[in-house]
Amino acid sequence: MDWQAFGVSLALGLGTLVVLLPFALWAGHRLAARSFRGKHAVEAVIAVPLVLPPTVLGFYLLTAFSVRSPLGAAFETLAGNALAFSFPGLLLASAVANVPFAVQPIQRSFEAVPVHVREAAACCGLTPWRRFLRIELPLAWPGVLTAAILTFAHTLGEFGVVLMVGGNIPGETRTLSIAIYDRMQAFDDRSAGLMAATLLVLAIGALATTTMLARRAGPVRE
Amino acid sequence: MSERGLHVRLSQAAPVPLDVELSCAPGEVLGIFGPSGSGKTTILRAIAGLHTPEAGRVTVGGEVWLDTAAGRVVPVHERAIGFVFQEYALFPHLTALGNVLVALGHRPREARRRRAGELLDLVRLADVRHRRPEALSGGERQRVALARALARDPAVLLLDEPFAAMDRAVRRRLQDEVDVLRRMLDIPLVIVTHDFDDIVRLATHLLVLRAGRTVAAGPLQDVTSRPDVGWLGETVGAGVVIDAVVARTHDARGLAELTFDGGTLVAPDQALAAGAQVRVRVPAREVILAASPPERVSLHNVLEGVVAAVAPDARGTVAVVQVAVGPTRILAEVTRDAVERLGIAEGCIVYALVKSVSLEVLASGAG
Amino acid sequence: MALTRPGSAEPPRRAEAAQRPTLVAAASDLSFALTEIADRFHTTGAGRVSIVFGSSGTLTRQIRNGAPFDLLLSADEAFVDDLHMRGLTRDRGALYAIGRIVVFAPGGSPLVPDGELAGVTRLLDARRLTRFAIANPEHAPYGRAAEEALRARGLWDRIAPHLVLGDNVSQAAQFATTGNAAGGILAYSLALAPPLQDRGTYALIPEADHRPLRHRMVLTRRAGPAAERFYRYLQGPDARTVLQRFGFGPPQAE
Repeated sequence: MDWQAFGVSLALGLGTLVVLLPFALWAGHRLAARSFRGKHAVEAVIAVPLVLPPTVLGFYLLTAFSVRSPLGAAFETLAGNALAFSFPGLLLASAVANVPFAVQPIQRSFEAVPVHVREAAACCGLTPWRRFLRIELPLAWPGVLTAAILTFAHTLGEFGVVLMVGGNIPGETRTLSIAIYDRMQAFDDRSAGLMAATLLVLAIGALATTTMLARRAGPVRE
Repeated sequence: MSERGLHVRLSQAAPVPLDVELSCAPGEVLGIFGPSGSGKTTILRAIAGLHTPEAGRVTVGGEVWLDTAAGRVVPVHERAIGFVFQEYALFPHLTALGNVLVALGHRPREARRRRAGELLDLVRLADVRHRRPEALSGGERQRVALARALARDPAVLLLDEPFAAMDRAVRRRLQDEVDVLRRMLDIPLVIVTHDFDDIVRLATHLLVLRAGRTVAAGPLQDVTSRPDVGWLGETVGAGVVIDAVVARTHDARGLAELTFDGGTLVAPDQALAAGAQVRVRVPAREVILAASPPERVSLHNVLEGVVAAVAPDARGTVAVVQVAVGPTRILAEVTRDAVERLGIAEGCIVYALVKSVSLEVLASGAG
Repeated sequence: MALTRPGSAEPPRRAEAAQRPTLVAAASDLSFALTEIADRFHTTGAGRVSIVFGSSGTLTRQIRNGAPFDLLLSADEAFVDDLHMRGLTRDRGALYAIGRIVVFAPGGSPLVPDGELAGVTRLLDARRLTRFAIANPEHAPYGRAAEEALRARGLWDRIAPHLVLGDNVSQAAQFATTGNAAGGILAYSLALAPPLQDRGTYALIPEADHRPLRHRMVLTRRAGPAAERFYRYLQGPDARTVLQRFGFGPPQAE
């Protein structure tokens, strides 16, 4: 069991959550709140990482991170290291790859808040921010939790993007899924099997939790 | 025009065509009546700010909430409105008390709980204050919605088909409660409904809407006594609604005498108290016209009056006759044949005969 | 201030380089040999080393894209030259070993390994060859050598449809040991390693059948004193002994 890789996986999962959740809350809420021109285009762009092969995502991210690009050059100047093959770079890549997992459940749960309830909140004198905090978020929290769990679980399972953008740097970008691959190539099936089983158990646990939450949330009853 | 009242002017082509102008003074109850799709809910939402029309102006108590010409649109949460939704729209995750508290943000923190308690007492929900909406009945939910609307200390109260989802008995009780409340408040109240019963019970003024345009508007009695009744459609029959006072009850005979401006009506006694204010609807179909007062008939109500107008309907077989009994106008629906036979025309003296049992008497105040 | 050439990174802070473990990129054929050498290095107390194995070509590309390796051990000196030309290395590096390839057959396979690949030819003639595993010739030196050896025997075109390509020679070894491949051409160093010893038989392919696999290693620009120590250790007698045990030939004089 490669504990260091386990730690990297956990750090990546939690880090992705921290980076992505605020954005997903904002985006999911805005998409649920109103129809605007180009909304379908935005939703399609958000869903793209779902259908794209990880290699495509990896390819574009590597290009964006390279020292020849503004982003990569800026990071290089600030941190002294390349953005690719570093944990911050991996975190960024993971956040991009997980956008649909974070945004879509949150958007669904905000959409499930009846429009009249939102309007009533405005009629009660609540500003948009207070409406969000006191009325919409408490009603939509199962979706937020689902998004968090799905994002975390999906991050643990990322492979293609991690391999391309992160390489296999121990302690930095060698996640549990990469470590499995690594151990297999070293003919260490015992280690690989142990780590694979761990990820399997975590994945099942995450999905079971989200299913339970989905059932609990149900339609909002008045 | 009263400064503290509501003044609205709206026009738009889409999504629902509208072109109306209306006012409602403090203490008045304006009923907006019309079929589905006529735009009445849109008007209410425009007043609240939930919808911004293409062109319009809304002022309440001298404050301008909307003026498209000047580009001024006050957001919903800055308007002092009390809005009661058709589906109650209560916050499901809060108790009744919690729901009311949400609307009390404009009051100092220490005073909020007390005020919420007062309001729940007002709608007689004190003992269920800690229940969530899912544990409340339809009538109780609507009362919470009312309390929450009032908690805002609104400058105008807006009710959108508030009793649509209820059965008759519950509706009656709630209508009475709303009536009591509005007498306590001194703000304009606008109620939108497709059920004429609500109008009869609560409204002081009536605006009839069809396809986004005003067909008739004015004080209730005036509008209901208009002879051109095509606007009512098949759902509501013609019939004037007048305010009266119980002069006397004859318990032994089971009758009550109701005095209105111009005469007296006798109706079956329904546990009315002398001095009580009532509303009486006189269905035009139930009014018989006579050229001379009849003798030895069962009728209690024989009103002498002068024919003010005769309006035939579209097909010409039926006519609505407006009879002036003193300052009050009553409608009678009779056949054209009868009109010709009796020689009924403007200025004639006629006698309006109404069976006491045909009168719809509505007592105001809690039952 | 040095001109920034395409792909070149700024020299990292030397002090920082001293703190973290040395990061080594190594060709997959060194999977077992280098691990053992690194363990010995750790016991000397001269520092810690972290190794990432992969195909030489892939690792070189990663370094070009800024991957933070201190040392590259390539199975083909051409990759080291490439990095040096781009200014990513300290110098031209040092030759440290010569590699050999073997034809390998897992237990139970109809293939009988021999250096002239007669067994492969036989299977092809009898149309009994299923899958044959080699590393990807595009970026793995052992794949390139395998292709050369197959071409030398006139087998390339006939065997091409049967090939399964590993991303690096370790992955090719994995493919070769599963029941679905008849065998493959792998690194000699891997065939000598304990996990493969029990799984099949092999035969050395003559050096004349392919261009030499000249293994060159080089320090990158970010390398610090710790990396230098390991670099020197790799050229010392202890490391030479291990490399020899894993079938690597000694580096010839330049």
